[in-house]
Amino acid sequence: MRTLSISVLSLALTSIVVANAYYQKKQFYPSVVYITKSNPSMAVIYIQAFICVWISGKIIKKIFFGQLRTTEFEHLMERSWYAITETCLAFTVFRDDFNPKFVALFTLLLFLKSFHWLAEDRVDYMERSPVISWLFHSRVLSLLLLLGSLDLHFIQHAYLSTVSKGASVQLVFGFEYAILITVVINIAIKYGLHSVDLNSETPWDNKAVFLLYTELVMGFIKVILYVAFVAIMVRIYTLPLFAFRPMYYTIRNFKKAFSDVILSRRAIHNMNTLYPDATPEELQAADNVCIICREEMTTASKKLPCNHIFHTSCLRSWFQRQQTCPTCRLNILRNPATVPPQRQRPPNPPNPFGNPFFAGQNPFQMFNQPNANGAEQAAAPGEQGRPAGLAGAERQAAPATTHQPQAAHAPPPFLFPPFPFLPFLPPPPMPPHNLAALSPEELLRMEGSERENVEARIQCLRNIQMLLDAAVVMMQQYSTTAILSAQMPAPHAAPNPFPATGPPASADSPKVAKVAPTTSGSAQAAPTTGHSGANSGAQASSTIDKPGTSKEEEGRGEESTTEAGIEEEIRRRRLQKFVQAQTHAGGQD
Amino acid sequence: MAGSALRRLMAEYKQLTLNPPEGIIAGPINEENFFEWEALITGPEGTCFEGGVFPAKLVFPPDYPLSPPKMQFTCEMFHPNIYSDGRVCISILHAPGDDPMGYESSAERWSPVQSVEKILLSVISMLAEPNDESGANVDAAKMWRENREEFDRIAEKIVRRTLGIPT
Ligand SMILES: [Zn+2]
Ligand SMILES: [Zn+2]
Repeated sequence: MRTLSISVLSLALTSIVVANAYYQKKQFYPSVVYITKSNPSMAVIYIQAFICVWISGKIIKKIFFGQLRTTEFEHLMERSWYAITETCLAFTVFRDDFNPKFVALFTLLLFLKSFHWLAEDRVDYMERSPVISWLFHSRVLSLLLLLGSLDLHFIQHAYLSTVSKGASVQLVFGFEYAILITVVINIAIKYGLHSVDLNSETPWDNKAVFLLYTELVMGFIKVILYVAFVAIMVRIYTLPLFAFRPMYYTIRNFKKAFSDVILSRRAIHNMNTLYPDATPEELQAADNVCIICREEMTTASKKLPCNHIFHTSCLRSWFQRQQTCPTCRLNILRNPATVPPQRQRPPNPPNPFGNPFFAGQNPFQMFNQPNANGAEQAAAPGEQGRPAGLAGAERQAAPATTHQPQAAHAPPPFLFPPFPFLPFLPPPPMPPHNLAALSPEELLRMEGSERENVEARIQCLRNIQMLLDAAVVMMQQYSTTAILSAQMPAPHAAPNPFPATGPPASADSPKVAKVAPTTSGSAQAAPTTGHSGANSGAQASSTIDKPGTSKEEEGRGEESTTEAGIEEEIRRRRLQKFVQAQTHAGGQD
Repeated sequence: MAGSALRRLMAEYKQLTLNPPEGIIAGPINEENFFEWEALITGPEGTCFEGGVFPAKLVFPPDYPLSPPKMQFTCEMFHPNIYSDGRVCISILHAPGDDPMGYESSAERWSPVQSVEKILLSVISMLAEPNDESGANVDAAKMWRENREEFDRIAEKIVRRTLGIPT
């Protein structure tokens, strides 16, 4: 309404000015001279011209775009402001050439630019629109044709004028229209890709790849254009400040497109070569739903090293953005290794401990390394869990499952019959709840930044720590027992290395006496560790590894004392044997 | 073939309609364009925004869920993490690439695992517990830190306004 009244007003003013001139001069040519000589009349004429441009813009918009969407309009306004400021900056460089024709050419440039932006937005919209009408196609095609031919015409004009009259402001126009023609080509390519995608029955996986490469090539051409333009401008005039902002963005976009192409190529290569296809059982276990598209995984899907499963096509398009696991953010390029033996494993049996670290396997399998650095092995889940970030059930479950195969890899040097020891093992402290299957409410409680969320997270970390401590305890017991049973010739001590009740059975072995307190001490470690877990919980959630490592050192210390005792005992026995043998031999001699 | 973004948005809309989370209503503004949603968020109980019903607009990119949507409150808001024009500034709405040192905090940032529901729940918890280190609205952050009573008073006024009660 307001625009209408303004245009009516300006039209009225213009007719008054023209009528007045004609009334005074009576003839066409003198009245034109009269108007151009009089400043107020010229001002009115300029305003009228501006309004004419505005109205024709509206009409063209109506023809080619119909109603603009809100986002398109906001986008247009935002870009217009930048373009107008840059144009004003450009005026300062060419103030000698400043004349009405110059202003008109710049206005025309802005006018055409805005239609390029609108066309770009409109073609991007194709991806989001459920139905694309024939009207849309004909509008976009004719608009692209029109813009392209106009751009070409102005480039040609600028070229001819520069060749015949030498460098002038036409350089800027030539360059600007060259940039615009790359925009038109880019839009046309996108339009083609989107149209092919719309007409295909199945999702077109390679579209994103084509888009990425289009971006790269177009970015490259634009960078070259900008660099050449700045170089020429610096040689002939001065630094073209007005070109710096778009140049910066172009270079940045190009750099990003370049690194995107490199990184995504690597990630996709990894995916195709290293990661196994998910088996039907694994799909079943993962609810069969791809978390990226929320659709069922019936078609090809891949399993990442962290055991998360996605559609191959979904992963491919995600890897073009980021090279991480969407669920746990494991960096695919940094951790490209996968674990093929996992595929041969049977699906996990129901978990007897309700404990992810022992999920689906005999707890002893994990701790069958009798050497002292087994403690490190036990601490490993904590180490692995740390970079993944521990805020969610999947993330907690992930390090545990990646850990299993490593433990399974380690060839058991010698296996012991577990029966003599089993009854004496104190059970690992039960986790307060099942970490492998957190309910949505529990998950929800751990999200967010409120105090209660943080507390929930800390609680979860404490539970994990408790499990780790339990694992350390078990490992210590096991390795001690292993060493004992391997080294101890006395058969009567073997069945009962941990006298649960009463003092050490045999008085002849001070070693057993020495071992027993240590193990019972570590058996009591469970409450103690719960206590230290509370401490570490207060130390904030990030430091899960610290208590783990301190525990580990502690464990090592304990073990070394036990080991020292055992070694001493062994030496003593060997000496005895040696002496016995010697005396025996001496007796024979 | 309709785009995968469209299908995922339709799936999320269906999910939200079947199991609406407490305090949240969200859906496309019109069914012809699934990439612009409006949402109504109720102020969390026990906070200064309690009782308010705040309308907001969500705009999804064509490559959703690979890129995060943008969210903007369409009513007046006064909050440390909401710009004066209503745009919401929380980590879940930013891709990890948005800041170079984002590795540490990337767990809360955007990934396709997130969803409209999670965004809106994060916004509710943001209303309850502002992060006064983010400078979306410096005045609000300062007032939240130094003059809680005044902040509560303004929040209550906004709540009343969203409910159409004269202040
Ligand atoms: Zn998928
Ligand atoms: Zn993962």
